Amino acid sequence: MTPLLEVEDLHVRFPLTEGTIEAVRGISFTLGRERLGIVGESGSGKSQTGRAILGLTARPGEVTAKRLAFDGIDLMAAPERLRRSLRGSRMTMVMQDPRYSLNPVMTVGQQIIESYRAHKRVSGRDARRAALAMLDEVRITAPDRVMALYPHELSGGMGQRVMIAMMLITGPELLIADEPTSALDVTVRGEVLRILDQLVAERGMGLILISHDLEMVASFCDRVLVMYAGKIVEELASGALDQARHPYTRGLIGCLPKLAGDSHPLPVLTRDPAWAR
Amino acid sequence: MATPLIEARNLSVRFGVGRLTVAALDDVSFTLAPGESLGLVGESGSGKSTVLRALTGLAPLSGGSLKLGGVAVPTPRRMNFFTAVQMVFQDPYASLHPRHTVDQILAEPLAIHRIPHAETRIVAALREVGLGPSYRFRYPHQLSGGQRQRIAIARALILRPKVVLLDEPTSALDASVQAEILNLLEDLRRAFGLAYILVSHDLAVVAHLCERLIVLRQGRMIEETTAGALRDGSVKTDYTRAMLAASGGFTRVGPTAPPTAPLRNT
Repeated sequence: MTPLLEVEDLHVRFPLTEGTIEAVRGISFTLGRERLGIVGESGSGKSQTGRAILGLTARPGEVTAKRLAFDGIDLMAAPERLRRSLRGSRMTMVMQDPRYSLNPVMTVGQQIIESYRAHKRVSGRDARRAALAMLDEVRITAPDRVMALYPHELSGGMGQRVMIAMMLITGPELLIADEPTSALDVTVRGEVLRILDQLVAERGMGLILISHDLEMVASFCDRVLVMYAGKIVEELASGALDQARHPYTRGLIGCLPKLAGDSHPLPVLTRDPAWAR
Repeated sequence: MATPLIEARNLSVRFGVGRLTVAALDDVSFTLAPGESLGLVGESGSGKSTVLRALTGLAPLSGGSLKLGGVAVPTPRRMNFFTAVQMVFQDPYASLHPRHTVDQILAEPLAIHRIPHAETRIVAALREVGLGPSYRFRYPHQLSGGQRQRIAIARALILRPKVVLLDEPTSALDASVQAEILNLLEDLRRAFGLAYILVSHDLAVVAHLCERLIVLRQGRMIEETTAGALRDGSVKTDYTRAMLAASGGFTRVGPTAPPTAPLRNT
């Protein structure tokens, strides 16, 4: 059986006047119908990895890979038309902040219906019905009312649920969620994660969760990749944070203040240039 | 008991008029002793930042009284208030003037308060936050996030305040940088006998830095507790308990489990 996603030796480079910046430096992994977490600090290349998979790398960035395949389709060789038709229908992405990623001058309903009809030939009425059902699935209590609202009328948690609804209405097989909860309160965060978790389980999707929050990702995902300076430095099984070997991962865990057993001063992460090699 | 440094009684802040009035703060009272550290926690919209804005006069008080060192604080605030109370903001990418050098940024409070020997004060302030004099003539865009937050802290400390108001000082920073800034804040507190009021949504950060904390919800104080109670889980209200549970990471509890906190679907 072919895995849902195969990534082998993926590089993302940005040629700039001051020289080339290599944001992602040769990472490889495969994804089945599972929850995979990618964790790293700012600049580690985690978001660029997600964008490269979808083909959303900003210009003048260049993506190279020995193999980048989605459900057996070679994405590196695929024409832009094919990638565009895959994007949004079979593979999709949830962005960080609903305040910036939803169109401020369209109602929630219009946006969800637009993304549905871009990929499915259905009547307006059917699209509306599907949108309502999808909003209900992400536990929006009065979908009728929410459909007519504009993004600024939504709370952060609702906005994020609307975005998830918009991305999942086409029934994708791969969902990349880039910091889906970091703009949200801790209490709402749990709720959004629970919705994601349930939808992924019910639909048998593959999920890549990108985040800087190691503890959250480790408690949510089946597997966690830790990225540093564009490379994967460690792969961890879910809930096995205490078995982390790499000094970077251990340093990241150590430098968080903890409710149980706090230490003063906090241990500080000392970076070894060898990690980036 | 010695006079508290800050005494806030029945603070209330309202925004809007008539039917649209929103009580951003409703009857919030607390005291802060010299050298003490108080945490304010709550969800977004709970009014935790409004407390700091009301203290500094950035949000108008519609009720209640405020005393600094036993003396009533007038509105608008006088100069001597700001020599005693300074603030560090959440996002160091937004709180530093992009076209001012570090030197200009740090010189401004000194010029406003007519404090002489600016140059030696600036170099000393940079040293206090762990940056060398070479950073003096850089622009904010030439600094990392952690270095910028250090500059923002230096700007607050250069007037030798007694109280520093910290509005989510580390939430825009990476975990490893957060640890450095938290350590710096602890060292500075010890060195200068500072009192802190820390606003944060991260319970672990609040418990790390503060002995005492207030939980706010929709502008009201719903619980006053201690870092110790947070650590051993002996908090009184369900709401705080739910926040505590949510901060522990994701727990898979089966598809029909109720959410940990009431849905805010309005």
